[in-house]
Amino acid sequence: MYFLPRLSLILLVTVIALLLSSVSWAQFSLRDFSNGGFSGTVDQQWALRTDDGATQKFQTTFEPRMEVDITDSTRLTAIARVRADTESNLGFAGSRTHLDTELREFYLDADWGGLYWRLGKQQIVWGQADGLRILDVINPQEFREFILPKFEDSRIPLWIANVEIPISDDWTAQLLIIPDQTYADLARPGTSFSMRSPQVIPEMPSGLPVKFEQEKRPGRTFKDADAGARLSAFVGGWDVSLNYLYHYQDHAVLFRQVTETGIELTPSYERTHLVGGSFSNVFGDTTFRSEVGYSSDRFFLTNDNADNDGVFSTGEFSYVLGIDYQGWRDWFVSGQLFQSILSDPTHDMTRDKSETSATFLLRRYFMNESLKAESLLIQNLNRSDGVLQTSMEYEWSTNITLTLGADIFFGSCAGLFGQFEEESRITFGTEFSF
Amino acid sequence: MNTPVNDTGLSRFFQTLVNWPKTVVVLSLLVMGLTLSFLPGLTKDTRADAFLAPDNPALLYKEKVKEEFGLSDPFVIALVNEGEEGIFNPESLALVNWITNEVDLLTNINSDRVVSLATEKNIVGTEFGMDVDDFFDPVPSTQAEADFLRQAIDDFPLYKGSIVAKDGNATLVVAEMIDESVAEETYAEILAIVDRAPLSPGDELHVAGEGAVLGFLGSYIDADAQRLNPLAGLIITLIIIFAFRRLSPALSGNIIIAASVLMTLSVMAASNVAFFVITNALPVILIGISVADAIHIYSHYFDLQTEQPLKSRKDLVVETMLDMWRPVTLTTLTTMAGFLGLYFAAYMPPFKYFGLFTAFGVFVAGVYSLIFLPAAMVLTKAQVSQHFIGQREVGSSELFARAIGGLGYLTRNYSKTIIAFFAVSAIAGVYSASHLVVDENRINTFDTSESIYIADKAINAHLDGTNTLDIVIETAQVEDLFLPVNLEKMQSLQIYAESLPYVQGSTSIVDYLKQMNRALNGGDISEYKLPISDALTAQYFLLYSASSDPTDFEEEIDYDYQKANIRINLNSGSYQHTKGVVESLAAYISDEFNTESINATLSGRVNLNYHWIKDLGESHFLGVSIALFLVWVVSALLFQSSLAGLFTLIPVLASILLVYSAMVVLGINLGIGTSMFASVAIGLGVDFSIHTLDRLRTLSRNTGSDINSALERFYPSTGRALLFNFLAISCGFGVLMSSKVVPLNNFGTIVVLSVTTSFLASMTLLPAMLKVFKPDFLSAKQQSATTQGAGLARVVTTVLAVVLGAYLLLPNSAQAAESLSADEIVERINNVDDGEHVTRRLVMNLTDRRGRERIRETFGYRKYFNEEKKSVLFYESPSNVKGTAFLTWDYPDTKVDDDQWLYLPAIRRVRRISAGDRGDYFLGTDFTFEDMKLEGRMEPADYDYALLGEETIDGVASYKLASTPKNTEVAKELGYGRTEFWVDKSNWVVIKADYWDTKDVLLKSLVMSDIRKIDGIWTRHELELSNHKTGHRSQFIFSDVDYLSPIDDDVFTQRAIVRGL
Repeated sequence: MYFLPRLSLILLVTVIALLLSSVSWAQFSLRDFSNGGFSGTVDQQWALRTDDGATQKFQTTFEPRMEVDITDSTRLTAIARVRADTESNLGFAGSRTHLDTELREFYLDADWGGLYWRLGKQQIVWGQADGLRILDVINPQEFREFILPKFEDSRIPLWIANVEIPISDDWTAQLLIIPDQTYADLARPGTSFSMRSPQVIPEMPSGLPVKFEQEKRPGRTFKDADAGARLSAFVGGWDVSLNYLYHYQDHAVLFRQVTETGIELTPSYERTHLVGGSFSNVFGDTTFRSEVGYSSDRFFLTNDNADNDGVFSTGEFSYVLGIDYQGWRDWFVSGQLFQSILSDPTHDMTRDKSETSATFLLRRYFMNESLKAESLLIQNLNRSDGVLQTSMEYEWSTNITLTLGADIFFGSCAGLFGQFEEESRITFGTEFSF
Repeated sequence: MNTPVNDTGLSRFFQTLVNWPKTVVVLSLLVMGLTLSFLPGLTKDTRADAFLAPDNPALLYKEKVKEEFGLSDPFVIALVNEGEEGIFNPESLALVNWITNEVDLLTNINSDRVVSLATEKNIVGTEFGMDVDDFFDPVPSTQAEADFLRQAIDDFPLYKGSIVAKDGNATLVVAEMIDESVAEETYAEILAIVDRAPLSPGDELHVAGEGAVLGFLGSYIDADAQRLNPLAGLIITLIIIFAFRRLSPALSGNIIIAASVLMTLSVMAASNVAFFVITNALPVILIGISVADAIHIYSHYFDLQTEQPLKSRKDLVVETMLDMWRPVTLTTLTTMAGFLGLYFAAYMPPFKYFGLFTAFGVFVAGVYSLIFLPAAMVLTKAQVSQHFIGQREVGSSELFARAIGGLGYLTRNYSKTIIAFFAVSAIAGVYSASHLVVDENRINTFDTSESIYIADKAINAHLDGTNTLDIVIETAQVEDLFLPVNLEKMQSLQIYAESLPYVQGSTSIVDYLKQMNRALNGGDISEYKLPISDALTAQYFLLYSASSDPTDFEEEIDYDYQKANIRINLNSGSYQHTKGVVESLAAYISDEFNTESINATLSGRVNLNYHWIKDLGESHFLGVSIALFLVWVVSALLFQSSLAGLFTLIPVLASILLVYSAMVVLGINLGIGTSMFASVAIGLGVDFSIHTLDRLRTLSRNTGSDINSALERFYPSTGRALLFNFLAISCGFGVLMSSKVVPLNNFGTIVVLSVTTSFLASMTLLPAMLKVFKPDFLSAKQQSATTQGAGLARVVTTVLAVVLGAYLLLPNSAQAAESLSADEIVERINNVDDGEHVTRRLVMNLTDRRGRERIRETFGYRKYFNEEKKSVLFYESPSNVKGTAFLTWDYPDTKVDDDQWLYLPAIRRVRRISAGDRGDYFLGTDFTFEDMKLEGRMEPADYDYALLGEETIDGVASYKLASTPKNTEVAKELGYGRTEFWVDKSNWVVIKADYWDTKDVLLKSLVMSDIRKIDGIWTRHELELSNHKTGHRSQFIFSDVDYLSPIDDDVFTQRAIVRGL
């Protein structure tokens, strides 16, 4: 694939898409498969760095989906993904740089004994926040493209036993067991979005050799499994939930050890209890939503030399307050305030005791919702760095969507966002669904 | 009389008929035979409800009540024992048990709904709480046990009067049918049970109730008809034979009768119109009318034959027809006009059809008289009898000749006296008309000797009454009926109702609660009152259900304790008696109830009857006016003189007014059977005056305007024919006087009365007035046959035009008397059933102005949870939106915002979204959220409605309405300045709508198509909405619509939309 000149590939994809769109796909109904359905998407994305105009990625993704009704009350769903990138700037898992295949989700939905089971590889999302994760920590995330892709694409599905217990029409309980020790997938060093920020990468005194030790990764399927429970209800007009998750945090903590030979960094995964809840309600044209969480054992980096491993443990209390406003026809406006407060701060932390971020989303629809224009600003108020993501999405026909977008990073290069200032880009996308 | 047989088109026509007699006769019989093939399809409908138009709100509401509470028209079996112990003796009680069990076994009886001492339960207090035990647990077998039972009943005020007489001498077994269409069979089965019941001395059994009436009426009327019709036919045949002393006129006359009656009934069957109770009078009426033309034609033929004995038969027949076609046509048209008046004025379907089909029958008789009869006359070689010739002589001593001669003598010599006499009786008639009483009592359909009549009287004498009125109470929220304030309102309503005359008792959940309260508080009668708190009420129900079946109260209260029914018993079904009750209760309800938290609606048999009788008086007088008007127009055109038209009305008016006086004197009320008489009387009576006027005019011109000599010649010829005509009709209707069906009997009596008066007035008053006033039209020049023919053509055209005009101008649908308002139409639109729940596939086809299409396939569920509506829409294709689901909980109160959630697969979670502006467009379509929510219904809280008129859209007759938002706020919110919409008159579905924005620019147009019934519910399968501003079009196509498969409540939860379809 990477032999072909880029332009001709774009043309090829476009022509194929046009040809296929002229077929009346309405006749190819999913009802033809009496036992479920076969569908999927083919997605083409081309990103150009604004800095130097170089191609950051030229990626084609094929994501087929199959649903089979095994019995009246059970259904098997399988979603696969094949990604091919002509560039190697972003990298994939393992050593491959250009091709990535994955069985994304594979689960069985069953209605047994009055309970609803979903067993298998799946994504589960808790909470009410958009983009910022307080309770949405069940599935880890892939960071090869930082937080720019849709979360559905960057979230890593896990093998989970998920059971929902309907208590009444308004109350539901959910129990999870996650015997899957898959954690966050960080961008490989040397790729566009590999972390440089001192918040994540500890500052090393120069001159000394740094050695990465073997990762301390939990390996016992059940003893190291994550477990969670959620109680959700619709009460007095409020959607509320109470959440508890006992889990290994998805990001390894880098423990520093100074030895004779140099500095040893040992990534280690730590467990914590997370307790929290969410609420949302609607008042006229405004939706109010909120999420709170308390994590008992969080680990952050400290540059205090007195600290023997460069890491300190603390509890973390975080919350998000969000408001969505839909009062103006065809507009959607949303703002969120996010704050994370440490209960036991120490000196020389790489982050502030209280970190505050805000997001602001403006979305407008045109032409009977066939054209969508969107602008999302995420800004860390402590460091004043952030990212502005804008896009225009046009639904050209039933099966074809065209996208034009830009992701601009700004702020101090020490910040989580500012570190990627050079990677600001514009993107062109085509999605074809079948 | 001596019209030259010249070569006009008309004479050529009749000549053809007589030259091909066999062909004509065979063809006529063939046409009759072909039409008769439809006759077997005739169905019978004896229901009282058949008298109401199917979409009458009172009838629709009664159906709703039946669904909710299961109440319908029951059979009532009464056991009466006037002995010392009354029915409280072991044998009688055992009989009650036996009957209850036997009735229960019948297939058409709803076992859940049999009520008697054997099924009801006693509520007593015990130290542990409440004990609910069957009264017959066990069946009392000794007198002591029977006495104990009497005491128990005495202690339970609810049952005294309702299933046991207050004096203990009677008790009831009440049973409801499952299928009312087989009421006759069930009634027969119940009668069979009663026949073999083990009666003890002193026991009497009676079977009554609306169920019995329904069951009996059918066979009652059938038996009657089977007796009456042949009798009428026989009498008339005898009269004809006697008049002409020949068989052939009787034969031809009977064929015409057969053609008229049987073809009318066949056409009725072919038009899917049922044979109603009053349709029984139709054959009798047609028999009398059809034969009149034959009598006149034969009479004239025999007259001509007497005068010109040597002329050939064929020539004589032609001459007869040329003389008689005009009066025959006139009388046919005027009689049809009379019956069509009934069709236009009546608002009850059976009456409308009666008028319509009788007019048709008269038409058939007229056609056969003009075409078939001449041919038959030639074939049968009709020959005048010597006897007949003899009668014609002036001064003949024969009875009929003498009678007619007498009338002639009176008229010639006492004309002024006659006029004065009729003037006085007319004034008396007008006075009586204002004192007519409208009354109807269904039980009076039966003769007083009928067992059902006796049973009804017995039951109404001993117990609370067989006539029921229901009041349905509705509260705002589930379990609101636990609140003492609501129960007390119900109690006050019952107390008020029982204070009204003819109301003997009432039953509701209040009575049961009071008994429970008493049972749990020591049993003293002072504790027979409502519980003091809602918690207590709830507890009582709980305690009751612990000892017994909670479905015991199905007929009194619904499952959610939100709706209740109060059943009121009256011991009279007469309209005059129940009118007061219904109107008083309606006034009480509108004062005390009908608030936001609680409201009440009247229903039940008594209410239904009240609605359809109350407009009867108005409709009657309207019918009379219309018939008179039509007759006047027709006659005026035919005589080419409006004065002549008025003269034809004189005898008819005289007869009607006399009948009013007779009704008041005899105490006959204006009811279902009798209200029709006027149209019938007009239609029949006008025949006499037309023949008289026509004949006198012709004679007068021939004699040089000498009225006296005209009169002399008139009586022996036409007068005699008219006499036989009168005898035939009056005997035909006289037969009705022997009917056992009381309304038909009354109807027959008054029609005979009016026809007699018409005849006498035509024979005396009309000639007298012509003699005294000498109007101009008498002496006008005689016209030639050609101009006569042309004149008639003009007349027929004008008559048709007038009839058509009347049809178009007068509201002729069954709602005529009610003339629907816009709000009533909107109510009917909103009452169209949309199913408790529905699943359906919806394909949304969105096309922009350039023709670019986007298609979305979705699958939707919708279910009502009482007044709340929950719906969920799952997107299935294309795959980039697959899994998206939209959940809505619609609350009935427009002030309470709906709750909505959107599941987006992209974020894998449910977003709570604001219902937003109701005028916002739904997910990219041209339908707003409000449009999607209403689904074709109207929202009177937001709009004012006006009726613009009626239009036919694509062959569908529809009402056109306009709606304007109530204020600018609503207009802005919903986005419409005004809308116009069209509603299909037959099913109240909106089929087309146009919307204007707030600047009065045409914004969008909606067209509905493929509207058909699925599972009995009208469903719109295709909606196409075009937005004129943007050029965008949304087409919604529904398929796989299913109202029957149940939907799990769980489908409408957040967890379900996350899981997906």
